Amino acid sequence: MSALLLSVQDLHLSFGGVRVLQGVSFDVRRPEIRGLIGPNGAGKTTLLNAICGIYRPQQGSIRLDGTSVIGRKPSDIAQMGLGRTFQSSQLFKGMTVLENLMTGLHRQTTTGFLSAGFCLRRGRDEEARTEEEARRALHFVGMSEFADRPATALSFGQQRVVEIARTLIGDPKIVLLDEPAVGLSINRLAELDALLRRIRDQKGVTLILIEHVIRLVMDVCDRVTVLDSGRVIADGAPVAVRNDQAVIEAYLGKELRARHSAS
Amino acid sequence: MLLFSYLLMSGITTGALYALVALGIVVVNKATGVINFAQGEFFMFTGFVGWMLHVQFGMNYPLSFLLAVTVGFLLGTLTDRIAFRPIAKTDIVSLVLATVGIGFILKGLARVIWGGKADYLSFPPITSPEPIMVGSLMVIPQQLAVLAGTIIIMLIFAAFFRLTRAGKMMQATADNSRAALLVGIRTDRIYTLAFGTGAAIAAAAAVLTAPLTLLYPDIGFAFFLKGFAAAVLGGLTSLPGAVLGGLIVGIAESLAGGYIHSSVMELSPFLVIMIVLVLRPTGLLSFRKARRV
Amino acid sequence: MPFGRRNVFLALLAIGAIIPAFANGYQLFVGNLVTIYILLAIGLNILVGYAGQLAFANAAMFGIGAYATGLLQVHLGWPFWIAFPSGGLVAAAVGTLLALPALRMSGLYLALSTLAFAQATQWVFLHWERVTFGAGGFKTPQLSFAPLPISKPIGLYYVSLGLVVLLYVFARHVVTSRTGRAFVAVRDGEIAAESLGIDLLRYKALAFGISGFYAGIAGGLYSALLNFVAPEGYDLFQMIIHKATIVVGGMGSIAGSVIGAAIIILVLELLREVKGLQEIAFGALLVGFVLFMRGGLITVLRRYLRGWEEPLRIKGGESTETPPRAAPQPSVVDK
Repeated sequence: MSALLLSVQDLHLSFGGVRVLQGVSFDVRRPEIRGLIGPNGAGKTTLLNAICGIYRPQQGSIRLDGTSVIGRKPSDIAQMGLGRTFQSSQLFKGMTVLENLMTGLHRQTTTGFLSAGFCLRRGRDEEARTEEEARRALHFVGMSEFADRPATALSFGQQRVVEIARTLIGDPKIVLLDEPAVGLSINRLAELDALLRRIRDQKGVTLILIEHVIRLVMDVCDRVTVLDSGRVIADGAPVAVRNDQAVIEAYLGKELRARHSAS
Repeated sequence: MLLFSYLLMSGITTGALYALVALGIVVVNKATGVINFAQGEFFMFTGFVGWMLHVQFGMNYPLSFLLAVTVGFLLGTLTDRIAFRPIAKTDIVSLVLATVGIGFILKGLARVIWGGKADYLSFPPITSPEPIMVGSLMVIPQQLAVLAGTIIIMLIFAAFFRLTRAGKMMQATADNSRAALLVGIRTDRIYTLAFGTGAAIAAAAAVLTAPLTLLYPDIGFAFFLKGFAAAVLGGLTSLPGAVLGGLIVGIAESLAGGYIHSSVMELSPFLVIMIVLVLRPTGLLSFRKARRV
Repeated sequence: MPFGRRNVFLALLAIGAIIPAFANGYQLFVGNLVTIYILLAIGLNILVGYAGQLAFANAAMFGIGAYATGLLQVHLGWPFWIAFPSGGLVAAAVGTLLALPALRMSGLYLALSTLAFAQATQWVFLHWERVTFGAGGFKTPQLSFAPLPISKPIGLYYVSLGLVVLLYVFARHVVTSRTGRAFVAVRDGEIAAESLGIDLLRYKALAFGISGFYAGIAGGLYSALLNFVAPEGYDLFQMIIHKATIVVGGMGSIAGSVIGAAIIILVLELLREVKGLQEIAFGALLVGFVLFMRGGLITVLRRYLRGWEEPLRIKGGESTETPPRAAPQPSVVDK
């Protein structure tokens, strides 16, 4: 098991004539918390979508533990150990929190509809184990008391945490988080910070984090990759990236330039 | 050759009719993004109203036409208030079921008011039933009326969408209802207008065609499917596409019916719908990027 | 929980079991019809309510089951007890094929494709006369329970009732399992479901297949009940009736399917004289419930009685702290 978990090389992705990703390359080690930042429209979510198989790049390679994922279905890539959360809550609204988590174990379980329908012992045992694991995962993220609440009864921030738990339950190697901190208060932010660290340290899971809350990125990430207009313009330790000229320009430069030309 | 010309003409006429039904579907879809599953029953119901006015009450044809179209418009606005407005874009399942329910209410009403289980009403021809020769094609004047009516309606709406403020507002609302709201467009009024207009078109189609066909309460669904097939063939948001689609479906159906077997005619909407939706969901004329529907 | 689901249904079952003792022929017929529609409703609910596939082909599956059962007897001489489950399997197979277009489209477009498919099925029933006997339909061989001293109506009734119990329990087990959760996941968030390893094609096919099987079995029973199969029994109106059962009862609820079916048959029989009135009534039911009681009658039951919740997992022992769970609310967030 090499230290190199995810390897993205020279990725090119276009929609129609629009080039969204242009030659993106970066490597992710295990375990690590990797920040992915950049101005809006830089291509961050697209990159995540490409990694988990929703989009197919025209060029380049993406390797998870050495195996290429390009061209595979999202469910297959998930099978390989990749988890993902989304910007808008993707909890299943018709289920309770616990049921959502139990669904997270879908890949690891095998009970088919016939075993379930005829109430075979094997199915019932597996169901009990599933529930057990779901409760444990819920406990790990500190939300045990919400087990039987409908998913819709949770606040947005709480839903995001449950979503993280849902991806964790499948024992992934790497989890892609799309803006997990959006809308969180200071307290919740601290909790999320602690949770992310716990995930890396106690479970050895690698995280890639798209975030706009720069404070969180600087605090919790081991390394940060910066995207702008589909290209990687910086990649390194948080402090180094923050002081990088190109990064500053990317975030502020357009505004400054506009002001210069106007005056 | 005579058979072919006859089949062609017949196909063009029924095609024009399907085009009208399709236009109604497209107008609603263009503005609201949804399909009104009661469209076929609007067609049937207003056809009956037209019959009642013209044949039972003895009103003259143009007046019956206008009144039927007005009734159609009202039915459309009613549907908007009852089915669309409360549910809008939040839950597609409910919307479909609600419009289907409205369709059935209309069908039942028609059966109760005007007919028994299988009553077929015949509409006397408005113009002379004698066929006239147009070049080498034999044509019934009413067929020309339907054709002319379709073209006129299509032109009116093309102009409406492209040239008038209301039309542009409709397109804006269809593209992005939130943005439309933010710019001050009264989207709810647009929706009402769209539903009303769609139903009015269906009414026009019905009264135009009534002299050529028999009216019965179950006629709505078949026309809805064919209209939808035509609309989807043309791209669901394209008005000329709807007309083109309608003509293609009509002609193909007529030729297949004449050269293969008459029973094949009823199969055409299913084939068209499945082939188009699976192979080329954007249709023939629509140039919008294909979303995963 | 005195008026909980289990007790109420057991009581109803007990009543149902002794009905033949004091019911006349017509009442027994209606009772049998109720069992058939319960099966239809459960199957449709799994597909539309749980898996979220807005399909309009259930009546066609119903018809395919009826036709297959009847034709296997008439053309191939198969005995009813073999033809009948085969009819169910044929309908399941055809239903599964519909999962393929379901992959490419959803919502409105799936509704219309399945509607068109249903229309095509009607066409086949009507025009493939050599096989299906066309518009006039055909009679199926009289079902006999010899050597048991049971008349056909009573025997068929008990067979139907038994099947309802079996298939109800089966359905309940399926939806409270990994499969049931997968269905709801497909309904509530396809992309997230996929990222969790749920194969969309597989589960859509399963949902279509199961509902096809239930409808097909119902069709086989129906053909035996009427001793007759003809195209008009499986048309669009039939489809609306099926939709009404799950809307009225409650989508996403197996218990609701039972309630919905019973009520719908009641309405159907009360209005059987005038077809027009039936159509108005069903249309109004659909519109009314969709507007005012989207979750169906089961939500009312859950609000006032305990023991009607239907979690998507096996809950050991008595349910304690769970507040009545609302039926799936429509998504407020624009997708």
